[in-house]
Amino acid sequence: MTLSTAPGAVLSTSAGTDTLERTDTESLVGKDVPWVVIVWNDPVNLMSYVSYVFRSYFGYSEAKANKLMMEVHEQGKSVVAAGSRESAERDTTAMHSFGLWATFQKTDEP
Amino acid sequence: MATGFKSTRKGISASLDAGERELLRSLFADVLNMLEPETPADADPLAAMVGLDTSARVPDDSALRRLLPDGVHGDDDEALEFRRLTERSLRENKTAALRAASVLLESKQLLLNADQAQYFARALNDVRLVLADRLGLETDEDTERLHGITDPSQARDVDGYLALVYNFITWLQETLMQAMIRSLL
Repeated sequence: MTLSTAPGAVLSTSAGTDTLERTDTESLVGKDVPWVVIVWNDPVNLMSYVSYVFRSYFGYSEAKANKLMMEVHEQGKSVVAAGSRESAERDTTAMHSFGLWATFQKTDEP
Repeated sequence: MATGFKSTRKGISASLDAGERELLRSLFADVLNMLEPETPADADPLAAMVGLDTSARVPDDSALRRLLPDGVHGDDDEALEFRRLTERSLRENKTAALRAASVLLESKQLLLNADQAQYFARALNDVRLVLADRLGLETDEDTERLHGITDPSQARDVDGYLALVYNFITWLQETLMQAMIRSLL
């Protein structure tokens, strides 16, 4: 069995991230959407996997998915969706089914 | 010897040898076993129908806690309420992916469509979450220390063996993700 981990593939690596712009989380949160879904960083999930989940589940563009993924990685968490309580609960469970750690809360909670 | 997953015109393909398929099958079975609910479905037919589980509580096992995390941060009561409403269906959802991935391993040559690839990715990811917990990986630095363990001769104890397996699954999942991302384009 040949074993090999791709260097730079794991969420724990930090190379090549300096030039990426920070995502402005405020722009995701409109005025009439009081609930948000937050995805938290962990040392296990692959960067490629997290980005894939954001693209395939939320239908985000590659650029947006990568931005959110880098925000999780660098800042420890990111607001990935906003909307009604029902949609926030549904999205949170969906993230858990993918193995990402997500929580939902009211926009104005700390 | 595994060559990892590749994106082809017919689907996402991989060729795994018997030992690798057996290893994956036993890891999937371990996680399936962990996800088995401790109590049978609620006797109340309406509760059972909507997936309500009044007996759900935060798992004692830290790996299971990572598979079934709290959905609310900083409010244990709200988190438990959400768990009672959703945990059973989350267990079923994860179990379905692990079972589907196990069945796919029955053939030497894997050829996956988009749905099957996603089941496989989710199953590999859940295995990695459990292995990472058993290895005590809590920070990015912890995982970086494991990167060098890629040769069987380095597996001198249980943790060494687990690290070897973890790195193999990580590599396999990474090749799968690259293939899946290519087929998204």
